[in-house]
Amino acid sequence: MDEIQVTSTLDTSGKCCPMPMVETNKAIKSLAVGDVLEIIATDVGTRKDIPSWCERTGQTLLSSTDQDKVFRYYVRKDR
Amino acid sequence: MKSLAIVVRDDSYDKILTPLAFAYLTASEGTQVDMLFVNWAVKALTAEGAAQLHIDGRHAGEEAKVREGVAKAGLPTEIYDVIKALKSTGSVNFYACSLAASIFGVDETNLIPEAEGIVGAAWFLNDKAAKADHYQYF
Repeated sequence: MDEIQVTSTLDTSGKCCPMPMVETNKAIKSLAVGDVLEIIATDVGTRKDIPSWCERTGQTLLSSTDQDKVFRYYVRKDR
Repeated sequence: MKSLAIVVRDDSYDKILTPLAFAYLTASEGTQVDMLFVNWAVKALTAEGAAQLHIDGRHAGEEAKVREGVAKAGLPTEIYDVIKALKSTGSVNFYACSLAASIFGVDETNLIPEAEGIVGAAWFLNDKAAKADHYQYF
């Protein structure tokens, strides 16, 4: 897999629903189409929330990782 | 989902958090959220009432722990501050039920400025709830 070029990082570590999604929505608005947002989260709810949010809002989840309960999502803004 | 209507009845601190969190979540995506506060919950639309919200019943002794958890989650711990945060999204309207307002002592003089006003339930149910994509009752 090609290395992902991250445009911006949003760290929601420690925060729980609804804040990771509220902050993700805010963060994506400030980016341009084609930019990649890295979202760092510790809320296990994001494992379902982020992929479904990407599908619903037309963004692309390029990749995600789970390392020691720290989740990283790489989302490309497509619209 | 383009629109969500929520009726809030429970006014204890812990129970009012869920509808507010759901509203925050959906409003942040641009969903139009209309919330009607009925029964005791109408007092949450006054500054004094919002400040007096506490956890009732068998969980009352755990309020400090709950507030700590709310802060850790990233939400404001005061309900009025949560309401202000929701209002700042530009997608949430707060309405006070006219019957509840009459019974529980809310009028135009103590209603918080973030609220749209005191409305009849018939209007809310027909013009907001029935036309919304989704409807919830708490």
